[in-house]
Amino acid sequence: MESEVFGTGSSAVVVAHELKAPLALMRQLALSIELENDLAGAQKVSEQIVATSERALRQVNDLTKVARLEDAMFEMEPVNPRVVCDEVLAELWKYFRFNRRELSIEYKNKRKLVVGNRQLLFSVVYNFCLNAMNYGGEELPSRVIVRDLQGNKVRVEVRDYGPAVPTKIWRQIKDGVVKQPVDIAMRPGSSGLGLYIAAKFANYMQSDFGLIRHRDGTSFYIDLPVSGQLSFL
Amino acid sequence: MIYVIEDDRGWEDYYRRILREFTLKFFHDGVAAMAEMDTEVPDLVILDILLTGPTGFAVLNEMRSYPELVNVPVIIVSSVKMPEEDAVALKQYGIVTSLDKAEMTPKELLMRVKEAMRG
Repeated sequence: MESEVFGTGSSAVVVAHELKAPLALMRQLALSIELENDLAGAQKVSEQIVATSERALRQVNDLTKVARLEDAMFEMEPVNPRVVCDEVLAELWKYFRFNRRELSIEYKNKRKLVVGNRQLLFSVVYNFCLNAMNYGGEELPSRVIVRDLQGNKVRVEVRDYGPAVPTKIWRQIKDGVVKQPVDIAMRPGSSGLGLYIAAKFANYMQSDFGLIRHRDGTSFYIDLPVSGQLSFL
Repeated sequence: MIYVIEDDRGWEDYYRRILREFTLKFFHDGVAAMAEMDTEVPDLVILDILLTGPTGFAVLNEMRSYPELVNVPVIIVSSVKMPEEDAVALKQYGIVTSLDKAEMTPKELLMRVKEAMRG
């Protein structure tokens, strides 16, 4: 699995670029603190450095998890998707704010528990949200929606209102052949790597992963089977 | 008016603070920036290379195909390491300078922008 992530030259370049981007920004922000005249300004820059570093650390952690999937380190368990989505929002809201974006959550599901892995589901939703932040429009906030589906499944989707997903990406995801981070020039920022990671984790949890192209944006989703276990959450 | 064409939104506040003495307009892709340049000629363009949609090089090509935009100075700010021969070629495109996001300093950026704005 490790070789799948880092084995090809182009994949290694994508990973390196994605990890370099937040590091470069953090360095610039740190250097710019001395140019701030007041404490409040310096404090704001400091908070942006923390938020950017947390995002970079999350990426590194996700890559580590991808490399460990084959070791079956992640057990399937009953998971409350609402709790996971709340955790994602709690971690990302500042990062969205620094990027002048908004993220909201809508819970429409009646079924409480799904079968999955809490860590992996967190990463899937987290990467969907980052993708929405990078590609979503500015007028409307990106939305996390949890809803019941027919066939004893629950869907967790992230809806954005940005430009259409390139056909190449759409086909790769539709056909379930996300084998490596996609072309860097087409998917800059976190999106190529983030979707790759999300697809890997969704596949590991044997859940359905896909996207819906709307006229005014895109929804990325993961469908998880409902857990038969009673919810005490 | 300085146009900043940069798709990583995390950089927006950084540019606003470092270049606070200038008026900035932000674009997250080259298409939107080019559309704006139909009606307004900027004094300077700060351009990233890896953009959503057309790359910075495509934006540069497009800009240089319009007589009114030929002389607009451009500063490339990118995390893409530019080979020496590319840097030389870019001079022919009227690139004022090319800065590496990982190596430049805020003071250097400000200095380069001031130089470019002075002409």
